[in-house]
Amino acid sequence: MKHRNLGMSRLSLMGLIVLAVLVGGGALLGPELLGYYRFSQAVVAMSEADIERGGAWPQLHQACMSCHGNQGDSINQLYPDLAGQPAAYIVEQMQAFASGTRANPNMSPLAATLSKDEIEQLAAYFATQPVVANSSLQANPALRDAGKDLVKQGGCIACHGPNFAGQGSFPRLAGQGFDYLVNQLQAYRDGRRADPSGTMPTITAALSDTDIDAIAQYLASHPVQIQE
Amino acid sequence: MTGRGNNNKFSRRNFLQVAAGATAFTALPAARAFAADEKATGASDHVVDVAILGGGLAGLTAARDLQRAGCESFVVLEAMDRVGGRTLNHDLGNDQFSEAGGQWIGPGQTAIADLTRELGIGTFPTYYQGKTTFMAGDGQASVDLGGTFGTDMKIAAKLDELARGVPSGAPWKAERAAELDKMSLGDWLAQQGFSPEDRIGWSISSFLTGGVMPAKMGFLHFLSMINSADSRYDRLDSIKDSAQETRISGGSQVLSLKMAEALGDKVRTASPVRRIRDWDQSVVTLETDTGIVHARQIILAMSPAMCQQIDFDPVLPTPRQELQRQWPAHSPARKVAHVYKKPFWRDKGLNGHIMQAQGPIFWAYDNSPEDASTGVINAFVAQSMLPADHQQAEKILSEIYARALGEEALHPIQYHDHDWGQDPWILSCVSAIPPGFWTQHGEALHPSVGRLIWSGTETAGIWAGYMDGAVRSGHRAALQALNNLRRSA
Repeated sequence: MKHRNLGMSRLSLMGLIVLAVLVGGGALLGPELLGYYRFSQAVVAMSEADIERGGAWPQLHQACMSCHGNQGDSINQLYPDLAGQPAAYIVEQMQAFASGTRANPNMSPLAATLSKDEIEQLAAYFATQPVVANSSLQANPALRDAGKDLVKQGGCIACHGPNFAGQGSFPRLAGQGFDYLVNQLQAYRDGRRADPSGTMPTITAALSDTDIDAIAQYLASHPVQIQE
Repeated sequence: MTGRGNNNKFSRRNFLQVAAGATAFTALPAARAFAADEKATGASDHVVDVAILGGGLAGLTAARDLQRAGCESFVVLEAMDRVGGRTLNHDLGNDQFSEAGGQWIGPGQTAIADLTRELGIGTFPTYYQGKTTFMAGDGQASVDLGGTFGTDMKIAAKLDELARGVPSGAPWKAERAAELDKMSLGDWLAQQGFSPEDRIGWSISSFLTGGVMPAKMGFLHFLSMINSADSRYDRLDSIKDSAQETRISGGSQVLSLKMAEALGDKVRTASPVRRIRDWDQSVVTLETDTGIVHARQIILAMSPAMCQQIDFDPVLPTPRQELQRQWPAHSPARKVAHVYKKPFWRDKGLNGHIMQAQGPIFWAYDNSPEDASTGVINAFVAQSMLPADHQQAEKILSEIYARALGEEALHPIQYHDHDWGQDPWILSCVSAIPPGFWTQHGEALHPSVGRLIWSGTETAGIWAGYMDGAVRSGHRAALQALNNLRRSA
């Protein structure tokens, strides 16, 4: 069941390109040459930036890339951002996935096969990546305003911090994926997710699905704190 | 062989059926409906010889083999409302299909090739003629790779040499298993003195073939995959003369659809098994959403990660439990299809294949129907880099395709999108076995436990993880079930 496959050329493809330019040089049109040049520049720049951010290759955090983004920013509302999440929160959640106290069939085995050092390394990486606003969210102002009131009533800011940017064991909520927030709030309410303090199940106990949508809309569209 | 027509066995069965049924049927009202239903379908016995869990290629192949051997006392329980498992067709209309799931067959994949022929289904070549476009940032380059992915054959040769010592169906038995299982593919590649540019290509290869980026791809496992391809990396990870060479007429799901059609009401869809009781007894009880099933032999035709979602009572032996608990399920592909009036890129000398560094696209490729009456670009995309919303995703991808293939790409006539990560009955595509896994858990993969027979592509001797492996595992599981029945008769 291979969905898949393939590998791309060693972009030593770079070699092929140089060759193509040399051999067919006369026949290459300006735009095509420019495209090759930009391509090769971009590849080198990306690789260098990756190494600067994440250390020597191979970088463990790339294992998270497909669902969570190369730098922990997911523009898919279903898959959570990891960028700017407090390192302590990431470590605790990975431990919870590994032990099964937080149930997720995709994450649990992955977390269970990571060492303590690897988990800390991943947490440190994602915690320091830039937080990006949720640009692909489809806005719903009425729902957002309703959510604002509910969030105030719930006192969310007390734990999740100023601008809902997260702190310690409490995740960043501002700009997080809408569907992800909905799924988590429902999981707390319905007893499918626990938190050590028991706060989240209590806060969510009386929420309707509409309330949850409203809260998620408000938080997902909340401006993110700009990091240095 | 199946005991069909064996009078002694029938009477023993009737006894067991009453004994086992008495408690279960009173406990669960739904079971009554199931029992009545079974009568209507002609299965007079409440204890079936074999229950197969999973209506994908493995489970349906096993069912087909049972029937061909003369066994009629079996049922296929499928959780979803469809068959096919990790194969799924996008219906493009006019009897044309594009695949959302597993789709290719290649040299050495004889089990799936035979099944395809037996079912009277045709095959045709994957289209790769022309230039492949590589994109990074705002730059792009188009190169004719001649049906390959441009692999550095010197590195491939080193991998091939190592792969010869790693048995595909049991990598933990390799002589150098301990040493090779300590490292990731990335660790090994990093020793090869690559330039930073080289790493991008290997990363895409590792991700699409192995299910994860090189840092978390077990090297021993990666070598076992190459071993499946006759220890030739170019047979694994290329198109021409390789595992992506051939497509199935009517889309790969047609194999399962045809097998299920022939099996008729022996296939029960929307019947997830939640709990397996008494797997260590002579009659096993399965609790499904559509009632209780009692069976003598159980074939679990699903990945170990899906087995982990079932409640076993009594609990499984620790080695098997740990294998399931840690079995990787973090490689759910998202696959999309743009349909165009024509494969317009072909006239421009392009093959429609695109690889992108750090974009939403891992690999886009021409998946047009055999007669090219419409043009289809399929793509493996990163969930995180494309909105879940289909309209938004379609537009973003169309714009990238327009840069690579021309303006015509801006106007697809259909768009299809399937994120397997949102599919609770699939969880993952290939299994991205991490470093250290096989030497720790490998021994628990195959051995039956009580009446439980493990099947599914992950258990195949060769081509594990591929459609071919699924078929192989189905054949093997059916034989095992029949032999167990014979011995206990």
